[in-house]
Amino acid sequence: MLALVARRLMTAIPTLLAIILTSFFLMRLAPGGPFDGERPLPPETQAALQTAYGLDKPLWEQAWLYISRLAQGDFGPSLVYRDFTVSELVAQGLPISLTLGGLAIALALLIGVSAGLFAAVRAGKAADKTIMMLATVATALPTFVTGPALALLFGLWLGLLPVSGTGEGWSWLIMPVVALALPVSGAIAKLTRAGLATVLKQDHIRTARARGLPETKILFKHGLRPALVPVASYLGPAAAGLLTGAVVVETVFGLPGLGRYFVQGALNRDYPLVLGVVTLYATLIILFNLFADLIYGWLDPRMRDG
Amino acid sequence: MRRLLNRVHWPLWVVLVLIALALILPLVSPWTYDQIDWEAVRAPAFSGSHIFGTDEIGRDRLARLAAGTQVTLMVAIAAALVSLVVGIAWGATAGWVGGKVDEAMMRFVDALYALPFMFIVILLMVIFGRSILLVFIGIGLVEWLTMARVVRGQVMALKQRPFILAAEAAGTPPRTIILKHVLPNIAGVALAYLMLTVPQVVMVESFLSFLGLGVQEPLTSLGILVKEGADDMDMTPLGLLLPGGLLVIILVCLTIEGERLRDIFS
Repeated sequence: MLALVARRLMTAIPTLLAIILTSFFLMRLAPGGPFDGERPLPPETQAALQTAYGLDKPLWEQAWLYISRLAQGDFGPSLVYRDFTVSELVAQGLPISLTLGGLAIALALLIGVSAGLFAAVRAGKAADKTIMMLATVATALPTFVTGPALALLFGLWLGLLPVSGTGEGWSWLIMPVVALALPVSGAIAKLTRAGLATVLKQDHIRTARARGLPETKILFKHGLRPALVPVASYLGPAAAGLLTGAVVVETVFGLPGLGRYFVQGALNRDYPLVLGVVTLYATLIILFNLFADLIYGWLDPRMRDG
Repeated sequence: MRRLLNRVHWPLWVVLVLIALALILPLVSPWTYDQIDWEAVRAPAFSGSHIFGTDEIGRDRLARLAAGTQVTLMVAIAAALVSLVVGIAWGATAGWVGGKVDEAMMRFVDALYALPFMFIVILLMVIFGRSILLVFIGIGLVEWLTMARVVRGQVMALKQRPFILAAEAAGTPPRTIILKHVLPNIAGVALAYLMLTVPQVVMVESFLSFLGLGVQEPLTSLGILVKEGADDMDMTPLGLLLPGGLLVIILVCLTIEGERLRDIFS
């Protein structure tokens, strides 16, 4: 187990470096710069700013400087929100994005696993077919449609939930989380249903039935755990999908999360801000994949040394 | 081909009818998608010649829906084809050559799977302007991974089959074997996954357009229409509900059909 974690962390570092460097040079290929505002600045000011932020140095040197500072935990200054460092901006956005993503994946697991379980128990019956059809529909629901549609229905028409911003209490979280969780829960329901269908045909389940164990015990103790292996392997891509979805949801519901900083930063050519967000996102996804692998090993002991 | 047509199921017919409507409507409609009717700004549905009314600057909703559907599906099909070509080339090479090459190539795919790839695409869009060509190349380059995995598996299974071994024993050059014997046999599965890629691509394209990074005005797409509708939904909910509903119908139908084909072929 420890060996697996160590090995994964070793490969994580070159992966992260590759992502950071790719983003770094992609950003720099872009025409325009962070200091082209509405009114063009005088050339001397431009040059002074470039020097102040080290943008006049050769690209490779800048990349090296960026990475060596990053290794010490310094994300650098924001070039557009000039009173803030990237760390400060990210510290504001990260909790919101993490809350959204964490709650969404919890909700998706709850809905998806229970729906898949229910469908598998009723295999072949009307309930099974209905649930699977609903799951297919759910996977095809884009957050940028469900988000505004939910806001229209519950926010504007029924007036039950706040349409935008982070108001009082927790009610502002409901619609963004539901919009994010729906497609993931559909996919999880399908995987759970398919996993259970395979597992329930296996010998150890037949043995358990022959021993006269109660059906609920067979299902939860012997059936569900191996059936969730495909769900665990889907969690990595799901996390990447949720982070992308969060960009939309944060835009739709006007939430000051990381995603908004990313899009705004890219449009403003705020190089350090974009790189900071990309680095964080990539780290989160790598960590989440590692976590998914550990769950995987727990669910299926044969995978532990893999 | 006839066998294929017999396998076409109702969801695909829905999409085909929608495509036909999107192609025919602009020919018969009195309004074009970017034409402004100064007499009827934010007209409600069924007012005069505007069946679904007009948007906040007086453009005919129906004409815009037709144009948006055309662009969205065109981008989707083009991008899905890019992913098909890249995926088949990558997957078939890995599966055919095998060994270390296969391992390296599939490791690469695994690594890309876990990446926040959408963010690189967003960066690409921001950087290289927002040309429609780039939109689908960018999307196609992201969506080829699953295709590569599936094709590799198929090729590896085929490699052991007697007719391939026989062709090899007869001294047929590998190029000919791949083109004449391997590719025709993976066409079915590839088609099923192509069908599943199209809704993925529609989703990515609309996502980019929604953020203002995809197709640009005066061209329109379903994603842009959803965005415009969402911005104006407190005034005219129809502006959000029509393109949103249409987009969901297309996505659901394509997904159902793709999953059905996949289950048939695998």
